[in-house]
Amino acid sequence: MLESLISFAQSTGINALIEMFKSGNMVEAIGTPIMLIIACVLLYLAIVKKFEPLLLLPIAFGMLLTNLPVFSGAIMHPEFFTDPQFLKADGSLDMGLILHDGGLLDLLYLGVKLGIYPPLIFLGVGAMTDFAPLISNPKSILLGAAAPFGVFFTFIGALLLGSLVPGIDFGIKEAASIGIIGGADGPTAIYVTKTLAAGLLPAIAVAAYSYMALIPVIQPPIMRLMTTKKERGIVMEQLREVTKTERIVFPIVVTIVVALIVPDALSLVGMLMLGNLMKECGVVDRLSKTVQNELMNIVTIFLGLTVGATATAENFLSLNTIGIIALGLIAFCFSTAGGLLLGKIMCKLSGGKINPLIGAAGVSAVPMAARVAQVEGQKENPSNFLLMHAMGPNVAGVIGSAVAAGVFLSMFAG
Amino acid sequence: MTIQEALMLNGPIPNAADALSVGLLVTVTGLIIVFSVLVILMCVLVGMKYIFAPKTKKAEKTVEQVVTAPVVSAENEEDEEELIAVLTAAIASSLNTSTYNLKIKSFKRVMNSAPAWNKAGLNDTINSRF
Repeated sequence: MLESLISFAQSTGINALIEMFKSGNMVEAIGTPIMLIIACVLLYLAIVKKFEPLLLLPIAFGMLLTNLPVFSGAIMHPEFFTDPQFLKADGSLDMGLILHDGGLLDLLYLGVKLGIYPPLIFLGVGAMTDFAPLISNPKSILLGAAAPFGVFFTFIGALLLGSLVPGIDFGIKEAASIGIIGGADGPTAIYVTKTLAAGLLPAIAVAAYSYMALIPVIQPPIMRLMTTKKERGIVMEQLREVTKTERIVFPIVVTIVVALIVPDALSLVGMLMLGNLMKECGVVDRLSKTVQNELMNIVTIFLGLTVGATATAENFLSLNTIGIIALGLIAFCFSTAGGLLLGKIMCKLSGGKINPLIGAAGVSAVPMAARVAQVEGQKENPSNFLLMHAMGPNVAGVIGSAVAAGVFLSMFAG
Repeated sequence: MTIQEALMLNGPIPNAADALSVGLLVTVTGLIIVFSVLVILMCVLVGMKYIFAPKTKKAEKTVEQVVTAPVVSAENEEDEEELIAVLTAAIASSLNTSTYNLKIKSFKRVMNSAPAWNKAGLNDTINSRF
């Protein structure tokens, strides 16, 4: 009786916590409570402040689960995926070990590690996206280069930070993953990071999703700084109507073009376009509804939970995370500025017909960025409706950042 | 330093000048690729427009007409803008054109001279459609 009680007490989390302090591993001993506090703060942000709650809530709870002090029965072992000690000699995953000893979240995390979830999310995003504004105004696709602007400039920033600040060890792969935050696209950022710098995954995912929620705060000051009152008040011509044939041909053509030039972006762009084709063709309504709702929700839960679960104290509590948070903000600012700059150039070239504010929507972050452009335009001219015009660059931004991701993967992966 | 060498380092690039040069190299290459993909897509979209878009004749005529508006209730002066917006939308939809091509120059209220029973019947029909 007493023995079984003792053995139960030894298996509790409280005992694990005490042992942790005894063992003298201070990163874990002090870091674990800090991580639990961070997880609770993120839960607060998700529930009370409603910062992208659909993602932040699972991420924060995953963080909570993975940092609870337990010895046996741990549900996540981030070290299986990053620590060379647990990897095979050639650096690939030891699948046998993961399947044999892995907990619930280890198995779900395989979907991130093998690059399954982000493309599935893109499938749903595609089925929810209306490309008509883009099709009716082809020029606006060029504004989709706004996101890559931010991506590549942040990439340089991260490289410099890595070489100048001693505690931060951003190599070229890490810098690429951090840069992708500027694409303002969660799935793309996760897709690149899991391939190039898996250790940074939680910090990058949290930074990307938090800043996306903050887009209505980050963008307006930059917009006002870079454009004149007159430019913001420009009313754009109404878009022409788009035929069904065009809507159907578009996803097929984009897939072929992207595959021919940047094959590494194909799993993201291909899925995005498949989702869109399902929506537009009108003959597979059931499939389209499933990918928009059930499939997307399921994948979101798995993705958020497992990405959060990789955030252990030693992974997350480092100078690197602070660097990522700072660079993430820079990435968003540069993307916005790049978009506005492109918008201004197009405004000049078109003889003042294009409102430069829609360029800022090129940062991706559908549909928040387009909404911000609409709100800012309406402040100057209450009868101005930029939303549909801004959706063009907005969805082009998704394509742009996926292509930038493909460029990074083709250069650095493998 | 080349990109390959930077990759071999497997960590930060020790020299800031090297970091900058590698970064710029990747950035320029990357932006060129992204831009060319977007430009090609733009050309494809423009091409699609010519192949698939309906041939619309330019409806640039500004319709100038005096609209007689049989408004039942008496409107205040301040409601005028709203009324004009409604009129524009109504004309646009009946002429199958965009509100952008219309300019309401004036409108004149006409007294509703229909008999009381007709008015009652009209109101009834409208109410039953809500």
